[in-house]
Amino acid sequence: MAVLPSKNVITTSERLYRAMLILYPKPFRQIYTQEMVQTFRDCCREALQDGETWKFIHLWSFVLYDLLITACNERIRSYITLLKRLLGIEKEYTMLDHLINLDFALRTDVGQKRSTNEDNMTSVIPQDPQILAKKGALFVVADGMGGHTKGEVASEMAVSGVSTMYYQQEEEDIPVALIQAIQSANQSICKESEGKSAKDSMGTTCIAAVLRGDTAYIANVGDSRAYIVSQGQVRQISHDHSPVAELLRAGKITKEEARNHPERNVIFRCLGTQSEVEVDVFAEPVQKGDILVLCTDGLSALVEEDELLSIVEQYDPEESVSQLIERANERGGPDNITAVIARIGYAA
Amino acid sequence: MKNIGRDPESLLPLTPAVFHILLALVDGERHGYGIMQEIATRSEGKTRMGPGTLYGSIKRMLGDGLIEESGVRPDPDLDDERRRYYKLTNFGLRVTQAEARRLAQLVNVAHAKHLVFGPEPIGGA
Repeated sequence: MAVLPSKNVITTSERLYRAMLILYPKPFRQIYTQEMVQTFRDCCREALQDGETWKFIHLWSFVLYDLLITACNERIRSYITLLKRLLGIEKEYTMLDHLINLDFALRTDVGQKRSTNEDNMTSVIPQDPQILAKKGALFVVADGMGGHTKGEVASEMAVSGVSTMYYQQEEEDIPVALIQAIQSANQSICKESEGKSAKDSMGTTCIAAVLRGDTAYIANVGDSRAYIVSQGQVRQISHDHSPVAELLRAGKITKEEARNHPERNVIFRCLGTQSEVEVDVFAEPVQKGDILVLCTDGLSALVEEDELLSIVEQYDPEESVSQLIERANERGGPDNITAVIARIGYAA
Repeated sequence: MKNIGRDPESLLPLTPAVFHILLALVDGERHGYGIMQEIATRSEGKTRMGPGTLYGSIKRMLGDGLIEESGVRPDPDLDDERRRYYKLTNFGLRVTQAEARRLAQLVNVAHAKHLVFGPEPIGGA
């Protein structure tokens, strides 16, 4: 049997195969041409390594068959998508796709110094596609404070109150619904601690994020934080309601000084102390691949933004939350540590 | 930990191609050709997947959140061209388990009817 001059054969085959990829719809070609040609070349090399011509002919006939069938398949699918778009069904689907592909993880840890965990967190991804499309997915983190185990009660009331109220409301405007949900949780906590002695008073921070379509809505009271990681950059979205953060923002102290400031744990706004509370709301555009991070100060005080960035970019959400908590614990873990990470997935 | 996610059962049954790719990725991340090789090896060469089937499935699996891209880098065993690697997501793993259980149940039925190790049927079609 004749041995083929393999290098030329591969180059020619590759060229031919690349030309035939025109049979696929353009969006498909744009994404996969390079990879498919590369894989095809790997297959050619494998078929030719023993110098047996029949193997190579077999490969070509197999690949041709596969190409024709799958090109038809992709074409039909792309026509169906087009049809859906014309009928107006597609838009709703892409919005849902975004959320359905949400990969997220939540974790909280007592830390090294505290005996109780006063942090709380929750996530709500509505199963009903209509509610999901209207209200989006919700994540809430709260860091409680107070005597005995009161902090635990306050933060639990905040996360459960906000998540229940948010979805019960008729209000369609997300920022308004978020503010109302947080204010209502605030009133419940205030009521709970009404008439109690100062020793039994309680309060909590609260950061809530709604992901819907191409927007992340962040609502904040206190010094728990929301970050968005996008294209290699990390941005802190929320502003801490603490005197130290104000000094830092005004440029009166440096980041380093803020980190070691004796009053760094003091906050001037929280849930549970006054019947009226002002809630900050931010709306941030997000795209696929972006990562939302919510955390309490037990994490943000110990893990720098750069470090956070490299961890969440390197690992999936599940692994990222454990890595982040591990880092904070390695550095003494003086406070409870909570992290929620949600990665907006790749839509089809 | 509360984690209200999607129900893996909602995607079943999977196409054979998708299930093969998921199985190939269970042991770790691979590039397209690596997935093909793994499938061929595991099935003793009986199952082969063409590039069209492979990438069509990959596209939909990315869309369904079963797999994700895990970077571009050269394969030390091949040339130094950079290749795109894929890996299972947590959800993908859960779906693979659910499909494996579904198939195992079917095989159990076949077993009970003596179709797996039973005598070969005699005669033509």
